[in-house]
Amino acid sequence: MLILTRKLGESITIGDDIKIIFLETKGKQVKLGIEAPAHIAVHREEIYQLIREQNIQAVKVDCIEKETLPDILAGLRNLLLKDQRKL
Amino acid sequence: MNVVTARFGEINVDESKVINMRGGIIGFEHLKKYILHIQDEKNPFWWFQSLDDDKVAFVVINPFVAKADYEPVIDDNDSKFLEIENAEQVVLLTIVTILKNPFSVSVNLRAPIVINAEKRIAKQIILEDQTYPVKYYLTVGSGDNAAATGDSERNKCDAASL
Repeated sequence: MLILTRKLGESITIGDDIKIIFLETKGKQVKLGIEAPAHIAVHREEIYQLIREQNIQAVKVDCIEKETLPDILAGLRNLLLKDQRKL
Repeated sequence: MNVVTARFGEINVDESKVINMRGGIIGFEHLKKYILHIQDEKNPFWWFQSLDDDKVAFVVINPFVAKADYEPVIDDNDSKFLEIENAEQVVLLTIVTILKNPFSVSVNLRAPIVINAEKRIAKQIILEDQTYPVKYYLTVGSGDNAAATGDSERNKCDAASL
């Protein structure tokens, strides 16, 4: 890991297109400004990991054998439609 | 064109229907091309099948079927990235997670897949609004949202029944 010390108002560049600016500190919090091209996703690390983990769980479609899954999905469809009629 | 998939075998795909995940599915950024595969016309659960990896397919659903008052905010950066000019171009899908023990089905309302259906480009965005959970449960007895009532026994998926 590269460790740099910056003063408030100073910046770090990553590659050609990414810049991180140290804007403000408030107690234990640091406010950062991030300039990056639109195709580069910028997220708080913990939420990124949470979504990533959820996607990995989702793709496994776990136990579900190819034959049984359509039945489960049909059952769920009925569940949802029952709810919709209530609305 | 014909595409071989691990789950469905060989399926026929209309090339004009291919979706380009310009922003990938988080954790799967190396996979770019997907097709929406509808196995059963009467069922709102569909499949988002990768054309780059035949083993990768996500169960997806239109989030408004799961939550009628879903109101995700798509920010300007994402709108520009997906070349969205008007709301009619936008289709939303959310990824469904089905787990075995205990059986549960949840929908990721926090990170929907936003598709510009006209331009066939898409991205999975993460909403700033924390009121939408990563696991919005559709099944009874799990999670902290008011789930639909229903016959969960019928949907039980345990090792013995498979």
